[in-house]
Amino acid sequence: MLNALRWWSGILLAFSLLALSRVFLPLPFVIEVVIFSIYTMGCSFLLGRVGFISFGQPAYLAAGAYGTAFYLFYFGANPYVGILLGVLSGLVVSLIVGPLFVRLRSDYFALVNLALAVIVYYLMQKVLADITKGDNGLWFLTNIASTPVLDLTRPNQFFVFALLVAFAVWAFYKYLDDSVFGACCLATKINEDKLEFIGYSNYRVRLLAFVIANTTTALAGALYAIYLGFVSPEITSPSRAADPVVVTILGGVGTLYGPIVGAFAYTGMKDVISKLIGNWELFIGFLLVFIMLAGEKGIWGTLQPRLEKLFLRGKAATTPADDGETRR
Amino acid sequence: MMDAQLLISGVIFGLSIGAIFFLMAIGLSLCFGLMRIISLDQLLYYSIGAYITYSLSLASGSVWLGVLGGMAVAGITAFAVERFVFLRIYERELTFSMITSFGILIGGIGVIKFFWGVVPRPVPVPTLAQIDIFGTDVPVYRLIVVAIAFLVYGGIWLFLNRTITGKAIRAGIENVEHVEGLGINVSRLFTITFVIAGTLSGLAGGLHAPLIMVDPQMGLEVLAFVFMVVIIGGLGSIKGTLVSAFIVGQVVSLGSLVYAPLAQMAPFAVMMLILLVKPTGLYGSTLVKK
Repeated sequence: MLNALRWWSGILLAFSLLALSRVFLPLPFVIEVVIFSIYTMGCSFLLGRVGFISFGQPAYLAAGAYGTAFYLFYFGANPYVGILLGVLSGLVVSLIVGPLFVRLRSDYFALVNLALAVIVYYLMQKVLADITKGDNGLWFLTNIASTPVLDLTRPNQFFVFALLVAFAVWAFYKYLDDSVFGACCLATKINEDKLEFIGYSNYRVRLLAFVIANTTTALAGALYAIYLGFVSPEITSPSRAADPVVVTILGGVGTLYGPIVGAFAYTGMKDVISKLIGNWELFIGFLLVFIMLAGEKGIWGTLQPRLEKLFLRGKAATTPADDGETRR
Repeated sequence: MMDAQLLISGVIFGLSIGAIFFLMAIGLSLCFGLMRIISLDQLLYYSIGAYITYSLSLASGSVWLGVLGGMAVAGITAFAVERFVFLRIYERELTFSMITSFGILIGGIGVIKFFWGVVPRPVPVPTLAQIDIFGTDVPVYRLIVVAIAFLVYGGIWLFLNRTITGKAIRAGIENVEHVEGLGINVSRLFTITFVIAGTLSGLAGGLHAPLIMVDPQMGLEVLAFVFMVVIIGGLGSIKGTLVSAFIVGQVVSLGSLVYAPLAQMAPFAVMMLILLVKPTGLYGSTLVKK
C-alpha cells in the first residue's frame, strides 16, 4: 500500500500542480501545455531511453490529427471514436515505417524521419488535396457532437479530459521505466552488443519502443485535432520539426517529468517573448546552445537532484539517472 | 510526352539546383568526415551569404561583389561559431552536435529576422543573357552557377590532394588520432575545414539568392534537400556528394515536369530506396564515431 502510494505520488503531485496552474493561467495556455507535453513524451522517450533522435515527430502527429480529422469531417461525430481512430492510424503508420527505420543508425534515423515529415507535409498539402482540402485544412469544429460524461466541445471539460489522458500516459511511461522492457531500452542505447548477448533482440526492443513512442505522438495529434477543431498541413511543416526535440532538451532528456517542465517553459517563453520582442527563435536557439554546453541536463534534470535533496525522506529517484555519456 | 525544349530547360534547371546543393552539402560532408559532427548551422551560413549578397548588391549594384562579401561574412561567422561553440563539442556524440547546431541555426534565423525583417526580398540576376542550346534559350546565369560548382570541386580536389593541409585533412578523415600522433595540429585543421565549409555554404547562398527570393526561413527550406544529398552520397565522401547533388537536382527538376508535387516528394522516395538498399549511401563507408 505504502509502496503503491510512493509509486503514484510523483505523478499525482505533478498533475495536481498542473491542474492547480489552471487557476492562475489562462485555459488555452494550460491545454496547450498538456497536449504539448504528451507530444514531447514520445520524442523524449526515443531520445532519452532508446538513443534515437527524431526530427520527424510531426509526421506521426499529423497521422493522429488527420486520422481524427477524416473521421470527424467525413463520417461521424463522436470525438472519442475520433481520438481512438487517430491513435490507431498513428499505430498503423509507425508499424509500417518502423521496421524500415529502426535498422538505421541514430543520425540516419533522424534524417529519414525528417524526410518522412516532409513527405507527409506535401502529401497532405498537394497530393491528397482533394481529401484534405490542401492548405485550407479541414474544419470540423461544428461536427463534433456533445458527449454525456465529459463534453469535449467545452474547453473546460476538454482540459479535464486532456489532463486525465496525460495522467494515464505518464503512469504508463513510469510503468515502462520500471519494467524489463524499459531496462532493455536503456541497454540498447548504451550497449547494444551486451543486450544481444543476454538474449534480447535489439531490433525488437527498438521497434516496440518506436511504435509506443510514435503512437503517443499520434495521441497528441488527435487531441490537437479535437481541441482546435481543424487540421491543416501546417501541423507537419518541416520548420516545426525540431519543436519536440527542443522541448525535450529544454526539459531534460530522458527524465519522466522533463516533457511537462519543458512544454511549460517552452510555451510560456514563446508567449512572453513573442509579446515582448516578437523574435522568440533567437532566444530559443541560444537557450538550446546554452543548455547543451552547460551539460545538457535541461531544466528538470538540473532541478531534480536539488528537489530530492530538499525532500530527503527516502524518496527514491524517480527515474534512472541519465548521466552516463553514451559513446560509440 | 515532354517536348525537347522543356526537357533541356528542365535539365539545365536541375543542374543549377544540383550545383547549389553540392556547394552546401560539401561543407556538411567535410565536417562529418573529419570532425564527426553534423553541422546543421551550415544552413545559417547559407542564409547569411544570401542576405549579405542582397544588401551588398543593393548598395553597390554588383551582385558578384555581394556574393564575395557573403562568402567572407559567412566564413567569419563560421570561424566565430567554431571557436566559441564547436571547440567544446567535438568530443561529444553525433546527436549532441546535431542538436547544438540546430540551436545555432534557429538563433541565427532570429538574428536575421532582427536585422532584415521577415519579408522575402528579391535579388537581381547578374546577367540576363540567354544562349541557345539545341534551339532552347537557356539563362547564362544558371550555366555560370554550374561552372562555379565544378570549379569548386576541382579546387577542393586539388586542395585535398596537392597541399599538405589537404592531405592532413584526408588523413584525418581516415584516422584523427594517427594524424595527431604525427604532430599535426588537429585543432587548427578542424578550424580550417569548418571555415571552408562555412564559406562554401555562403557561396551557395549568394549564388542561389538571384534564383529565389531571400527570406529568413530559406535555410530550413533547403535543409531537407541538402541532407538528402549528403545521405545519398554517403556522409564524408566528396565524390559521392557531387554525384548525389546532381541526381537530386535532376530528380527535383524533372520530377516537377512530370507531376508538380513530385518535385518535393520524389527525392525523398529516392533517398529512402537508396538507404534501404545501401544504408551508408552510395559512396559512404561504415564510418563510426570513435
